Amino acid sequence: MNIQKLFRIPLFGIFLLFGIIAVSTSWVCIATVDSQLSEEYESNSMGIAQTIADASVDIILNRDLSALQSLIDQFLEIQGISYIYIVNENGEFLAHTFVPGIPQEILASDPGNTETVERQLSGADSYVEVGSPILAGVAGTVHIGMDKSVITLKIQQAVGRQMYLISSIFVVGIIAAIALMNLAAKPIENLLVFAVQLAREQESGQTAHSALLERKDEAGQLARLLLYFSKVADPEKAGGGVLPSSP
Amino acid sequence: MRAFTRRRFLHSSLIGGLASPWLAPASASGQVTTSGLPAGANLAVYEGVSDSEILLGTSAAFSGPSRGLGIELYRGAQAYFTHVNQQGGVSGRQIALQLYDDGYQPVPSVQNTMKLLLEDHVFALFGYVGTPTVTRVLPILKKFQQENVYMFFPFTGAQPQREPPYGEFAFNLRASYREETAGLVENFLGIGRRRIAVFYQADAYGRSGWAGVREALGAHGEQMVGEATYTRGASFSGSMRRQVEILMNTDPDAVICIGAYGACAAFLRDAVDQGLEAPIANLSFVGSENLLQLITDSVDDSERYARYLVNSQVVPSYEDESIPVVKEYGELMQRNNPQLPEILRQPDYVPFEKSFVSLEGFVNAKLMVEILNRLGASPTRAQLEEAVFTVRDFDLGIGEHVSFSEQRRQGMQRLYYTVVDNGRFVPLDDWQARFG
Repeated sequence: MNIQKLFRIPLFGIFLLFGIIAVSTSWVCIATVDSQLSEEYESNSMGIAQTIADASVDIILNRDLSALQSLIDQFLEIQGISYIYIVNENGEFLAHTFVPGIPQEILASDPGNTETVERQLSGADSYVEVGSPILAGVAGTVHIGMDKSVITLKIQQAVGRQMYLISSIFVVGIIAAIALMNLAAKPIENLLVFAVQLAREQESGQTAHSALLERKDEAGQLARLLLYFSKVADPEKAGGGVLPSSP
Repeated sequence: MRAFTRRRFLHSSLIGGLASPWLAPASASGQVTTSGLPAGANLAVYEGVSDSEILLGTSAAFSGPSRGLGIELYRGAQAYFTHVNQQGGVSGRQIALQLYDDGYQPVPSVQNTMKLLLEDHVFALFGYVGTPTVTRVLPILKKFQQENVYMFFPFTGAQPQREPPYGEFAFNLRASYREETAGLVENFLGIGRRRIAVFYQADAYGRSGWAGVREALGAHGEQMVGEATYTRGASFSGSMRRQVEILMNTDPDAVICIGAYGACAAFLRDAVDQGLEAPIANLSFVGSENLLQLITDSVDDSERYARYLVNSQVVPSYEDESIPVVKEYGELMQRNNPQLPEILRQPDYVPFEKSFVSLEGFVNAKLMVEILNRLGASPTRAQLEEAVFTVRDFDLGIGEHVSFSEQRRQGMQRLYYTVVDNGRFVPLDDWQARFG
């Protein structure tokens, strides 16, 4: 598609504007989704940890640990939860979901800590771990690890959808802008052709004609003005000339 | 008439086709009235009992990496049920089993149980397989306690069906995992192997065994030196090298495995390959013959691998025909050669002529029939519990008398230890000589 030199700078401006919009909205989207999803996951996990902690009291005090394992296995089916472990008040692991074994990073950590922490387990993704005390901590602690890659994936999906929309608008917008600019450039191109004809008329003595002279807009006025000036330049034709009207 | 769904087809197949030697043709159609009762049945059918049939319900692993357990348990039970049905049944009623496959997964097990209770209206649940499945089904029994629904003789030694709040809805025959693990720990400690590690399935079954080992070691002032886990459903083709590495780092004197045969055979293979020279013990649930077959089929020098094996069992050796029930089991397995219904049959699975698991199924069925006999001519679910409690010092022919009561919901306690000699499991009499 031939883009008039006159409009290349405005077109570049439009391109730049779209770029700024795409980058800024994506950045806001990433920040918002990241923040909200992280908060939501953390909040949900805290709730689940509290639920397990409440349900664990009776099991730890009265029942076999297989019932405790059965309980946490059910929660592991929730999307985003990667591991769950329960330690007693002495830090001994009572139930967990780790395969092939409890990671060294977790064995080395403070089992009674219920603060939210970020973990980078060896050979695995990074996790956000929340904790909840069982019976105010005297019966142990429940820990739940959420896979951060799930949040990252959600962000990528959200940003991807937004970028897809913006890219589509961008492509359609650029094509439309070029088409509109070419439409706007057409009278100027015709004016140029008309001016060249007028110049040649001076040399050949033939009379130049153009549909532009019939137009009521600025292009028509310019065409008539060019015709007037060509006649002013040729005093023999000046008598039959028509002065352009004011815009 | 209801649509001919897969479930209906299964029921029809069982009743009409495969179970035909011992079921009346009237039951064979599988037709139901709009009330949900089999055609021509009286109101008693609502509880799984008609004039001609007593219907028991089973959800077990008939497919997947642990299918051998469900298949062999069923075959053992069916060998006895077929015999009883050929003799005229229980008070003139044939015993039928409604089977569903849960693949050893909890969610299908729960769904199957709901079907058995709400759609099939079985008289009782019988022959379930596995801890993760049974522990999820137990709350259903409590929910249906007004209907007097009981679970009989699940193939698991876990505690949840042996203690409150669900223990009152199940009756167990086999020894518990707690007893099995305590026995293994006692014997290992007795020969000076104090550094005991555990390899277990990462679920309720594994945790039950893990807890048993922990408790038994704690009673002797010891702790397990290491632990490694695997995901339920792991097969023999998978690698257990990482688990072996984890345990080898703890320098164990012995390893107790709480798993199913596929994963435990893979662990044994990788442990021996990586130089872990310590006894590797398995619980009865493992499926000893399936495990040994995987090893012998995959390596040339299987004796080198099998010499580390020691498996606890809850039934005696099926080779010891001096035990009356073993002799009867051998005869009936040979005579009836029970197979899974066609729709559940696994073409690539070759059943064992005899196995510890099918012997357990046989013994379970024998006691089940005894209980049904004690219900008399008009059995109802409401009578079931009382009928079980009348079983006192009952001789199953296994060398251990069986008793049940309000406080005693496990019939047997005896354990047997086996090792592999010349490619087959034989009783282990001298731990010191073998592993000392």
